[in-house]
Amino acid sequence: MKNTIKQVFHSGKFLFGFVIFMFILLTVLIYPLFVTADPLQMIGQGNFFKPGTYVSVEESTLEKSYTLQIPKQFSKLEMVLDVETRAKIQDFLLKQGVAEADIDVTDAEGLVALWKANYDPNTKYKGYTTAKRKALKRLDSQITAAMKDSGVIVAEKDEEGNLQQSKVIKDTDYVNIKDVSKKTFLLGTDNFGRDVLTELVAATKSSLKIGLLAGLIATAIGLLLGLLAGYMGGLADNIIIFITNLFTVIPSFVILILISYSVGDKARGIAMVGIIIGLTSWPWTTRSVRSQVISLRNRDHVNLSKLSGHSMFRIIFTDILPYIASYVVMAMILQISSGILAEAQLSMIGLGPATTKTATLGLMMQWAMQYSAHLNGSWWAYFPVVILIALISFSLNLMNTGMDQVFNPQLRD
Amino acid sequence: MKKNLQKVMSLLCVSAMSLSMIAGCGGGNNGGTTTTETPAATEETSVEETTAAEETTEETAEETTEETAEEETTEEATEDTAAADGESTPRNETLYEAGQQWGTINDWNPMSANSNNGLALSANESARELVYETLFMFNALDGKLYPLLGSEYSWNDDQTELTVTLNSDAKWSDGSAFTAEDVAYTYDTHVKYQSSQGADFSTYVDSVEAVDDSTVLIKAKVENGVAVNPLKVTSILNTMYMMQKAYLQTVEERNGEDADKVKQDTMEDLVHTGPYAPYISNDQKAVLQRDDNYWGQASSMWGKLPVPKYIAHTIYKDNAAGQVALSQGEVDVCQQFITDVQNLWLEDDLPISTWLDDAPYGACEVMPSMFFNTEREGLDQKEVRRAIAMAVDYEQIIASAMSGQSPTFAEYPRSVVGPTDGERKYVDFDAIADLQWDNADVDGANKLLDDAGIVDSDGDGIREYNGKNLSFKAECPTGWSDWNASMEIVAAAGEKIGIDIQTYFPEASSFYDDMTTCNFDICMWSTPGAGVMNPYSKGMFYFSEEYAKLASNWSGNFGHYMNDDAEKILEALPSETDEAKLKEYYTELSRILLDECPAVALMYRPTLFYAVNESVWTNYPAADDGRNIPPTDCTDGYGIAALYELELVE
Repeated sequence: MKNTIKQVFHSGKFLFGFVIFMFILLTVLIYPLFVTADPLQMIGQGNFFKPGTYVSVEESTLEKSYTLQIPKQFSKLEMVLDVETRAKIQDFLLKQGVAEADIDVTDAEGLVALWKANYDPNTKYKGYTTAKRKALKRLDSQITAAMKDSGVIVAEKDEEGNLQQSKVIKDTDYVNIKDVSKKTFLLGTDNFGRDVLTELVAATKSSLKIGLLAGLIATAIGLLLGLLAGYMGGLADNIIIFITNLFTVIPSFVILILISYSVGDKARGIAMVGIIIGLTSWPWTTRSVRSQVISLRNRDHVNLSKLSGHSMFRIIFTDILPYIASYVVMAMILQISSGILAEAQLSMIGLGPATTKTATLGLMMQWAMQYSAHLNGSWWAYFPVVILIALISFSLNLMNTGMDQVFNPQLRD
Repeated sequence: MKKNLQKVMSLLCVSAMSLSMIAGCGGGNNGGTTTTETPAATEETSVEETTAAEETTEETAEETTEETAEEETTEEATEDTAAADGESTPRNETLYEAGQQWGTINDWNPMSANSNNGLALSANESARELVYETLFMFNALDGKLYPLLGSEYSWNDDQTELTVTLNSDAKWSDGSAFTAEDVAYTYDTHVKYQSSQGADFSTYVDSVEAVDDSTVLIKAKVENGVAVNPLKVTSILNTMYMMQKAYLQTVEERNGEDADKVKQDTMEDLVHTGPYAPYISNDQKAVLQRDDNYWGQASSMWGKLPVPKYIAHTIYKDNAAGQVALSQGEVDVCQQFITDVQNLWLEDDLPISTWLDDAPYGACEVMPSMFFNTEREGLDQKEVRRAIAMAVDYEQIIASAMSGQSPTFAEYPRSVVGPTDGERKYVDFDAIADLQWDNADVDGANKLLDDAGIVDSDGDGIREYNGKNLSFKAECPTGWSDWNASMEIVAAAGEKIGIDIQTYFPEASSFYDDMTTCNFDICMWSTPGAGVMNPYSKGMFYFSEEYAKLASNWSGNFGHYMNDDAEKILEALPSETDEAKLKEYYTELSRILLDECPAVALMYRPTLFYAVNESVWTNYPAADDGRNIPPTDCTDGYGIAALYELELVE
């Protein structure tokens, strides 16, 4: 046994897959020790906040500020006036009848002066679509903001409701980020305003649970039926293989959908989804175990056991099972990986566990899609999920092929 | 020897397989070339369809050549695709809509109960006026009726008889004149065959008679000398599509006057008054073509034809497909909910705009509300209903589920009326201020339940009522993403107050079954939009016992909440004209709504979403343009006026 394990770990492929899988597993176990927040808490009010650190604006304005004489590498105006904006301004000015020679797009100050002279936000310019007019208006307010002198006035309402100036913020004022409250979303928030990273960890945990449960159940059923069918042969074999074939020809995903639908949302927790997936994905394990057993049952040592009068179950468990154990473990790894995928598929069509009770990878994908994250450019809501699903099944499959190389004499180096 | 034989056999097998694959591929290639060479029309299976498609090709080709003659700007590319496709219409003559038609159009019958024709048939307060027309058009902006087929209407002094004068220029698409006989016959046919409109109106309307060719007299049902519901009678003007008497007789005849058959007639040979006629309809798209003899070009009506020659609607698979098409300029007017719609112009810099520049972006007038089934144990307790209502995080619903496209309840406190000024003047908000609750008031909700003795006595985290766990299903149709998300947020609130709420998103059809037969715990539906009957119709929506008693109830009070006080007010409202009295009534209704919580508004929302792309067309209605054209996607009610003012982008 020790030797086998040693051998397995000598396989580079297995080791690679194992490291990835353990990394995911450990993250899932350790992360919640540090971040104890409820992964389903809706923090952000709005859809898909960008990844980054959010600092309290109120505290930043009130907190002690430090004056830093950082040489300004940019002027606010230059920031607003990128090449495209300059072209837009030029286009507008030309339409207003300004001579082309008078417009120098490289001179920001001059361009702005011309803009201010020619643009009036309250005029409805002819020849422009509403969208363009609105864009011009936005550009005008940007330019106005950029041209403003340094200093934003903070005012508070006094008892009579009049505004009283309480502070002036200059553009050289900085706060130390340590002084203010902040919240970091490494992967932004999702459509409900939940922290994607925390949710992702919780989701991976439940997806792994579902996959493990589904894999165990599918392998258990498949192994049992395969052993019985293969060893007993005859009528029992015929009946079992008939049922197995029946399940093989009906696409298991369809059965999966039907069962999940009839179970109803109420009962669909992690365990139930795992069981449902397990119950629909056993047939191919049965078939392959059966064929392995058929080739084993006429070996000499099995016949010897038979002659010694050992019971059927003893023969199956001591003389046959050990020979196919390695194969069964590999099959189970594949079942786990396909269980995770099946959960993702189910949740994608809204038949997974309840959104408010658990986070799963499939549910995250489903909501990201419903709120068209893929069209908004909110990659953080779905891409990490995709990567994680891919990594999990990739690592499991790597472990599987690695083991295959060790156990399968034909593939051994 | 045996092994050798196996080897030879397998070699043979493999070579046979690869040969057949090569052959197969070759065949496929040849096949491919042939298909590209054949015109698209040959792919059509039925002979009829083939000819139709060919005709279309010819017509389009002709139009394109005309176009080229008139304006030299037509690009050759357009012509090519038009000729090859056989079904395209020139882009610069076509207005593309999205979000109104899902799936193939199945009929053009305004009496049908199961028509799937969002492009032509939408007979609500702001009726879609493209193909069929109503007598008057409703304008949600000022709440007034604007003349269309009818030019004037007036009530007699005791509100029992409504006289409508018709526009004498109005004509049918077959050239014959539109007369009072047609109006009377349309109504009688609706009633005779008990279409849903017919069944609905016959409770309030006694008869519709033609006085002379251009005058119609609508008599209201009268009880004790007072009309039962004059408001409802008025709404016949802007909700009932007019059909031609002669044509209806043909339809009746060919169906043997059988009610089911008449209602299921597809009416593909329809006669209509509207500016557009059916042109192409298949599972890919639906196109309407302008009727250049449209009566409305008479100076008594519009004085001109609508600008786009075609109104086209591609049949999209889902919202995402429609949104992509909008951002690429393939759709001009989009009636779809778009997450973070402002990013389309702020970040992607697309020529897309909405009714308002800032949140809530649309003209919000309806309130999607959740109804509690008051016949279910637990939900029959007002404390339980109110506790759920108090615990819900409405600001989260508005910010995330609605993507900020709704004003908050802090800005517009809850009541029976919508967020428009025209409706809010009917409620005294100071009088009901003490009944309002804070957003996500979990503590208050918990206290309310504790005080009412509804507590968790077996320690499983869920409160019991009469020894049973409070556990409910909150349902709405699957795929309605903003509603689904709202229900999730409601479910999350339940968790915080010890009430188990599970979300349940069935297919739309089974949701409709549950909702209309009161077979649900919590369900969600929208109040009626702006209309001549508002805010009365919103009051009916929340409280009407009459609706509750319907076998199949699509109208409101889905949770069968019975309150005699509310019912009395609802009976008195339609014939009341005193503003002060009306205000008193609506304030009282709001008080009952907030106190008893038979239903709770979750957000405000526009009746129709409205986002326009100005790549091809411009001069769409916008909130600040002073033209008084509502943002009803250029198709509904008075919003159709926009079609006459569209301009091509230079």
